[in-house]
Amino acid sequence: MSDRVTINVDGKDYAVAAGSNLVDAAKWHAGNDIPVFCYHPKMEPVGMCRMCLVELGTPSRDRATGEVMLNDDGSPQIRYFPKLQTACTTTVSDGMHVKTNTQAVIDARNDVLEFLLSSHPLDCPICDKGGECPLQNLTMRHGPQSSRMYFEDKQLLEKHYPLGDLIFLDRERCIQCARCVRFQDEVVGDDVLAFHERGRRLQIITNSDPGFDTYFSGNTTDVCPVGALTTTDFRFGARPWELNEVPSISPWDAAGENINLSMRLDRDFGGKAQIKRVMPRQNERVNEIWISDKTRFGHHFTRSEDRLTLPLMRAGGALRESNWSAVTPAIAAALESADGDVAAIAGGSMTNEDLWELRKLVEGLGGSRLGAWMPTHGGAEIVAEVGVGFGTNLGQLGRGDAILVIASDLEEEVPMWRLRLKQAQDRGAYLVVANARHTRLEDFAVQGARNDKVVEGDFIRYGAGEAVAVMQNLSADQPEIAERLSKAENLVIVAGAEGLTLDGSKALAQAAANFLIESGHIGRRNNGLLIPFPGANGMGLHYLGYRPEATLDIMENPPKTLIVAQAELLDDDPAARAWLSRVETIIYANFFDDGISELADYVLAIQSFAERDGSFVNGERRVQRFYTAQGPIGQSLPAWRVFGGIRQALGNGPLQPSAAAVMLDLSDKISEFDGITYEALAQVKREFPDVGGRDQYYGGTAYSNTGGLGVQIPTASDKRKGRRPRRLNAPEPPAASANEVLLMPITRLYNRQRNFAPTLILAPRILRPFAIVNSDDAAAMGIGQGDIVEIRAGEAVVRVQAALSDDISAGAVALPRHLTAEAIPLAITAGSISKIAEAVALAD
Amino acid sequence: MAIIGNPKYAERIDHHLAKYETKRSAVMPLLFIAQEEYGWVNAEGIDEVAQILNLDPTQVKSIAGFYTMYSERPKGKYWLQVCTDLPCALKGADDFHAWLKDELGVEEGGTTKDGMFTVEHVMCLAACDKAPMLQCNFHYVENLDQDKMRELLAKWRLEAAQAANGRG
Amino acid sequence: MHILLRGRDIENIKQLDVYEGHGGFAGLQKALAMTPSEVIDVVKASGLRGRGGAGFPTGVKWSFIPQHEPVKFVTVNADESETGTFKDREIMEENPYQLIEGSLICAYAIQAKAVYIYLRGEFWDIGDQLDECIESLRAKGYVGENIMGSGYNCEVYTHLGAGAYICGEESALLNSLEGYLGQPRVRPPFPAQKGGGLYKEATVVNNVETLANVPFILSEGADAFKAIGTEQSTGNKIYCVSGHVKRPDNYELPMGTTFRELLYEQAGGPLYEERPFKAMLPSGGSGPIVPLTDEVLDTPMSYEDCANIGTIIGSASIIVMDETVDMTWVASKVTKFFQHESCGKCTPCREGTYWLDKVIDRILDGRGSPEDVKRIADVAENMAGTTLCALGDFAANPIIHTIRHFPDDFARHVQT
Ligand SMILES: Cc1cc2nc3c(=O)[nH]c(=O)nc-3n(C[C@H](O)[C@H](O)[C@H](O)COP(=O)(O)O)c2cc1C
Ligand code: SF4
Ligand code: FES
Repeated sequence: MSDRVTINVDGKDYAVAAGSNLVDAAKWHAGNDIPVFCYHPKMEPVGMCRMCLVELGTPSRDRATGEVMLNDDGSPQIRYFPKLQTACTTTVSDGMHVKTNTQAVIDARNDVLEFLLSSHPLDCPICDKGGECPLQNLTMRHGPQSSRMYFEDKQLLEKHYPLGDLIFLDRERCIQCARCVRFQDEVVGDDVLAFHERGRRLQIITNSDPGFDTYFSGNTTDVCPVGALTTTDFRFGARPWELNEVPSISPWDAAGENINLSMRLDRDFGGKAQIKRVMPRQNERVNEIWISDKTRFGHHFTRSEDRLTLPLMRAGGALRESNWSAVTPAIAAALESADGDVAAIAGGSMTNEDLWELRKLVEGLGGSRLGAWMPTHGGAEIVAEVGVGFGTNLGQLGRGDAILVIASDLEEEVPMWRLRLKQAQDRGAYLVVANARHTRLEDFAVQGARNDKVVEGDFIRYGAGEAVAVMQNLSADQPEIAERLSKAENLVIVAGAEGLTLDGSKALAQAAANFLIESGHIGRRNNGLLIPFPGANGMGLHYLGYRPEATLDIMENPPKTLIVAQAELLDDDPAARAWLSRVETIIYANFFDDGISELADYVLAIQSFAERDGSFVNGERRVQRFYTAQGPIGQSLPAWRVFGGIRQALGNGPLQPSAAAVMLDLSDKISEFDGITYEALAQVKREFPDVGGRDQYYGGTAYSNTGGLGVQIPTASDKRKGRRPRRLNAPEPPAASANEVLLMPITRLYNRQRNFAPTLILAPRILRPFAIVNSDDAAAMGIGQGDIVEIRAGEAVVRVQAALSDDISAGAVALPRHLTAEAIPLAITAGSISKIAEAVALAD
Repeated sequence: MAIIGNPKYAERIDHHLAKYETKRSAVMPLLFIAQEEYGWVNAEGIDEVAQILNLDPTQVKSIAGFYTMYSERPKGKYWLQVCTDLPCALKGADDFHAWLKDELGVEEGGTTKDGMFTVEHVMCLAACDKAPMLQCNFHYVENLDQDKMRELLAKWRLEAAQAANGRG
Repeated sequence: MHILLRGRDIENIKQLDVYEGHGGFAGLQKALAMTPSEVIDVVKASGLRGRGGAGFPTGVKWSFIPQHEPVKFVTVNADESETGTFKDREIMEENPYQLIEGSLICAYAIQAKAVYIYLRGEFWDIGDQLDECIESLRAKGYVGENIMGSGYNCEVYTHLGAGAYICGEESALLNSLEGYLGQPRVRPPFPAQKGGGLYKEATVVNNVETLANVPFILSEGADAFKAIGTEQSTGNKIYCVSGHVKRPDNYELPMGTTFRELLYEQAGGPLYEERPFKAMLPSGGSGPIVPLTDEVLDTPMSYEDCANIGTIIGSASIIVMDETVDMTWVASKVTKFFQHESCGKCTPCREGTYWLDKVIDRILDGRGSPEDVKRIADVAENMAGTTLCALGDFAANPIIHTIRHFPDDFARHVQT
């Protein structure tokens, strides 16, 4: 069968993709916007709203011969359905005829709009969706002039119904299209929204506990075709037409979600532009049109009152406010006096430009140690070799393909990957989740069916620290699973670092790479390795020469002078205070003072992603740029300018005039960035589904991508085929003595990290400190559900509540990072756990 | 009590779980069991059904809300549903329904103060040849008139009193 | 002679031994000795049409089931919720084994794995009785493994709805049975196709009365069945007569009997001598109303003849109204039914039924204007033909046709 069929829309023929949806085909190929409300190209059609009615005909065929019957003039005879048909539930077929402009169609559209408006309030001027509302738009285009129904007969319904902490429902505005319900059910896989009652009384409810609570809930407000769903964050915040959309990139994790920052000049913010909301920006390869709630609501830190606004400098024992012209030469002098014993540690969300300038500064002084923070995930160099192939789109994984996620809790680490991999499984991919404990993604892997669709998956539970052995011996120990993974058309392995030391995570990456190489799943798109590095620029750190191994070296042999950039060492590492005390001079650049100012000699206020231009490399090695959205906070500067300024003061070359110029400089020197310019990063092309158009069928205006789709860096195996598996130096797995347990640090998406704290609306979702303890172990140790336990390992001492579970391997305790005020160990380690108080209610 | 672990329902729950291809299919029979246990479909019942079927409670609540035979509010010991649909109405069902509400002193959908009777009207119950009629706790009572109804009310009151004494 | 309401002829036919003693399971036995497609051919030849309302040829429906699919189901539509319908109830109460036998013949013909009988929730007691019947059938080898020694296996289950007319619509019924909201599905795929039926498997959905005819067709032969009724409407039909007649009841008569015969000879004519008939709804609330003129009374009750007088025989639930009845009130009653029963999934029905009800209330209250009559006619026209399932059309019918036939009844309420 050919992959194209010809359809006739309003008298003209178009070649369209076979099997495509009629609404999509008409829009894409014929530029014909068949109006829709319930239809959404990312979800199954349901034919509910009846807005898309068209006249539909197919060629008549002779019963006996199956031949198309012809008119006298040789044209095919078209048999039209007696009734109008919903385009959204129609799949195109060859010879199909569609009429969208007849009186019957015009009347039907008019009638459906009249029906919808008869119940809809006329509060467009105060509606958050006003100006970008499909209902408003379609009414202007196709609607009746006025409602013929009686105003006083309208149902009065709740207008401010909280579905949860984040999302409000206006029951009068809801048009029962079920897009929100279907999004949660089909896309996210958390069916926490549903209809209640029936007929005109039909309304959206949640009956979950807590309310509407998923990591993706904000997307429902985008897909809602009216202003019925609004976020607590943006409600009544601004009118869409007052907003200026600035393309940006999520600063939180390895997915690199494309976003738009909706800016408005704000009186409360000194008349300056302020982020009013964060919207997904379409990039089908990265985040399609979705973002996580952390990305959507996590922006509040950018204008927190606590931001550092000035450079500080130690004088007479105390840190004092200063200015750049005083601080820059002082730091230059301090660095010079270090005699080359200079090192730097950079956090995972530093931009490429910052990292490049910092590197030039350190190297110009004769330093060579560039550390990546946190030193938890190794193997970036392996990703550079056998990472997912050039052109990868997780949205294309499906039937015949396979996915293995090992030693990672993707829901918490990179929620967008979890969403897209679950979607891949829905499309037919085989999903295997391996870990020492239960994770959310495992729920999907073990389900046999979802929404009446058979889904395929498996899970492997291993002992704490054993991930490397499991990966290495997969074929021997799990022959069926290994066989299915090996035989898959496309295979993606996500290898994390949960329950592993740095060496262990590197070994896991190598073991995964070996499996991919041996089974022929490298150097092709939709095949290869992903690592959920912490922060938005884990791969950027690697390409720019920052290594976690260097960090460990710095920790062991501290330099005379250390530059710490966007890394919260004290919050992350219980040993940091001790080893930092051996550094003579600490230069610290960040958004907030996280307590290190006690130790630091210079504290430099730098700009966040919202205040400057920059770029990140996401976990799929896509270089993506973001743009300046708001003005600087105080005197803060972009980090690249701070470091470039110091370099200039040292006489090591001129300061670059702009971030774009820094990129030109670095792409000249770093081969992987060859050809990557701000211009190249800004390129866009039309993507399917077309969500950005005037029609606004699929939600708000802010989807449209004007900032660029980014450029992916090829892997070594994309360029040269034929890698060979490497010998693997698997470190001894960590072991615990008789009275000890293995403490596995784990990640929680919502936590008490400094940048996240100002997002007050998510504060209630941050769990109280807890540790997951194997139920049998707990029984043996006399620990009950909810008991307060004290956990000790090295310098770390934390008190948390015990959460007992059968779904964690014996001898392991999972301890979330960044929930406790005190830091927990950086990597898996042996430690002790003891009960110190009886249970208090565990529920928040 | 609860429905989970209640020996009274164990066999029936197992029967329903066994008869369908998916667990989810058993949501309707299980909601009836929850309603039987608690007198109405309350939050506990919904959560238990959700737990048995491994569904989000939202899904169960949604089903409970769609169908009229699940009551999401407490109701009287005797739930009287009078058919007032067209065929019955042609035979005086509207008047009968109005009279019954008067007789018991309740509004539409209301429950008598003693918690004994809830009265509401319903759509056609497939008993049009035996109008007026009603359904009492899902059992049909047909060919009614005021006298017959008074007798029935008295009988139910007596039954309830006896049951209470028997227990007390 | 009753083919269906045999409880009226034979005492205790609701007991298994009595049913067996009167030819019970001869049809199934015959079927089991034939190939499945031979069984389908017999049913096709009988001309039996679905009694659930649409009158679709039953054998043809069965023949749509793809033979090669491994898993198939039969669901019996015992939702009987159409206003004025009470025939399936009598079959199940008084002659339950015949329904189950018919279902098993259907199951064998399509090689189904199981039969689900979807009863409206109010048929609580009937559900219990059917469960007992199924158990006694299992004990005697009619249900379960190796039915009547044939090697064919099939289970029979009952499922209770919980008060929703829409669950009589076949795709809503399937959703409800699967534990989802009882809302209709997008078609295609149709229930008989893979992907469209119960648990996405190919499924036959038949009405109770339809299936209760099948044992007779098998045991007596297609010709015996075809000998009854008209050319295009074969067999007997149960007519449910309610409203202003002397003897409201079920009447089992050959298809093609005239309305006059049914309403005067059988049901005894007008309830009150002095009040002549005015109109009837021949298919409950959902079919077009017709004035009871002589022409109408002399029309044979068949699918084809009813079409000629602008209505349908549908489920043959005949609601009769005498001259005292105000058709505006009738329109209101029926509209309230559909307003209450609209599942809410699609816009025209959800909004339309709500607004029709509101505006008719105005008219009945004396707050209406002639404009309002036009308004409801318009709203009804806009609903018709645009909805996902036929309920939207059903809801439009009473308005359109009461206004068409009885404009004066509306005019009276809106005089200024
Ligand atoms: C709104 C609506 C309600 C219906 N209710 C019933 C019903 O209560 N009983 C029934 O047998 N068919 C009902 N039907 C018809 C069914 O959809 C279906 O056509 C029928 O069960 C097929 O069986 P048959 O071929 O034996 O007639 C209804 C249809 C619609 C659109
Ligand atoms: S016509 Fe009515 S009952 Fe049928 S799908 Fe639409 S809303 Fe539901
Ligand atoms: S019915 Fe097609 S878009 Fe809603």
